[in-house]
Amino acid sequence: MKPATSELATLARLETGNEKLDMILGGGFPASSINILMGEPGCGKTIVAESLVFANAGGDRPILYLTTLSEPLDKIVRYLQQFTFYDEAKLGSHVIYESVGDDLVEHGIAGLAPRLKDAITSIRPKIIVIDSFKAIHDLATSVPEMRRMLFEVAGLLTAYDTTAFFVGEYSSHDMARYPEFAVADGVIELARDKLGTRDERYLRVLKLRGSSYLEGLHAFKLSRDGIEVFPRLTTPRFPPQYTQKTERVSTGTGGLDALFGGGMPRGRSTVVLGPTGSGKTTLGLQFVLEGARRGEPGLYVHFEENPTQLAEHVASLEGRAGKADGIGFIYRSPVELQIDSFVSEMYETVRREGVKRVVVDAVGELIVAASDQQRLVWYLYALAQHFAARDVTSVFLYERSALDVPDEPRLSALADNILQLDVDLEGKARRTLRIVKARGIGHDLERHALAIANGRLTVA
Amino acid sequence: MIVPATDSSRSNGPGRLVLVAERDSATRSLESHFLAASGVSVQCVADGQAALELAKSARPEIVITEILIPRIDGLALCRRLKADAETSDTRVLVVSVLAAAVRAREAGADGFLLKPISEDRLVATVKNLLSQEGSRDEARDV
Repeated sequence: MKPATSELATLARLETGNEKLDMILGGGFPASSINILMGEPGCGKTIVAESLVFANAGGDRPILYLTTLSEPLDKIVRYLQQFTFYDEAKLGSHVIYESVGDDLVEHGIAGLAPRLKDAITSIRPKIIVIDSFKAIHDLATSVPEMRRMLFEVAGLLTAYDTTAFFVGEYSSHDMARYPEFAVADGVIELARDKLGTRDERYLRVLKLRGSSYLEGLHAFKLSRDGIEVFPRLTTPRFPPQYTQKTERVSTGTGGLDALFGGGMPRGRSTVVLGPTGSGKTTLGLQFVLEGARRGEPGLYVHFEENPTQLAEHVASLEGRAGKADGIGFIYRSPVELQIDSFVSEMYETVRREGVKRVVVDAVGELIVAASDQQRLVWYLYALAQHFAARDVTSVFLYERSALDVPDEPRLSALADNILQLDVDLEGKARRTLRIVKARGIGHDLERHALAIANGRLTVA
Repeated sequence: MIVPATDSSRSNGPGRLVLVAERDSATRSLESHFLAASGVSVQCVADGQAALELAKSARPEIVITEILIPRIDGLALCRRLKADAETSDTRVLVVSVLAAAVRAREAGADGFLLKPISEDRLVATVKNLLSQEGSRDEARDV
């Protein structure tokens, strides 16, 4: 006999085939559980279920996909073949599609439990998907009838070693009213929000018995490969140890290091505010170029200048055309900017490439693209914390005509340092720079003129 | 309470007798189905008192019991079967939703399986226990 403790400690998981979704679920769905995949029509429920099914197909026990009264079986299988995860060799042997529609028409919802028992005793499925379970709910003629059917079905699915998924067009409102949610061990909601001319898709774990999971909204995209999930960025488990970091990094802008008392502290975040033409992009580029010269990989993220324009800008600063070695560039058109996926990509790039300097040009575009600005600020805060934990020094450019720190408490919380650039357009145009805040270090408080010499920005 | 085995599990043929004590009808039904399909005869009860009485009268070779059953719980049933000279040779397999393998062993159980039911594990364990029983009978016959 195995000791009880080891059996409890190793609660089996059913992986979804999607690493990011498994991460959100704390390793996957608990095995031998009943789960509901819910969301309005078109939100991607069936695709999530089918990709999970094919990821787990194989071995000596098949997977049973039961369609009900919502969509004809032929239609589901026809569209299934459009996806790259579809494997014809597994269909019919490892993945069995059947319709329970006739049983439901003939016997009502009471026809489901006998059909399931027959399937369990004859083909021993390791996973059972019922799509759509909501259609079965809608067929119930009374609440007692529905509860009776659920008692039988849940009893069978709990008794046998199988993991079940009820796919249904439920809304979040249904969760408090429909009894199937009481028998479910896990509930995953998929939703689609309209943002301007674009749609943004999110999934959320509403319930997962006996498991820790990543709460909140997680963006996802649908493609021919199934789903691509972007887990919500949370702050690092262990906060960065600021007191241990005394090293300074050169900003690449002549004279600016001295205003900081020897450069920016490594691993800290800096917000650079300023109106159009004040020199933000130049300052940002000089920051990553300086890092590249010192062997520190850099990442420049930009939404405003397209890659061609930015390449010219870099060439003018470098005094030569060509690729800037040691610096990666990520460009997104503001029109197609989806915050969650973008922030996720940026973070993954920093982690994968060992980036030490990051510039985001500019935060304003992220704010415009964000459907929820508070959510964006939390994202940026978490991102800055992750950067700090990895000793990545970050600069966020933000187009603003004037700074009023009391009006930007969220920005102040995000940034360890705040630089304000300005253009004085009265009389002769003149650029200026001032350090508004530098957390934990002594710094210059004066406004200084900025000059451009040999194409480079310097503190005069 | 003695409950009828399902049609598929009612086996009065030459198969060796296994008694299932399980309160949950779905679990009872599946266990008896899988066991009958493997070639053993199955009788089912829904509580520990009925299991104790049937174990004495029908003399099954194996008693499969959940811990959480009414009247006499599965561990107490196991202890009483093992303490009674009439039934001490009866093999006891605890199949429970509780991760209580150690407690089952302390109660004298010959095997433990954690739910949910896996047909393969259930049938393999029962066959293993039956083979041990057979060996013992042969030894006794000798």
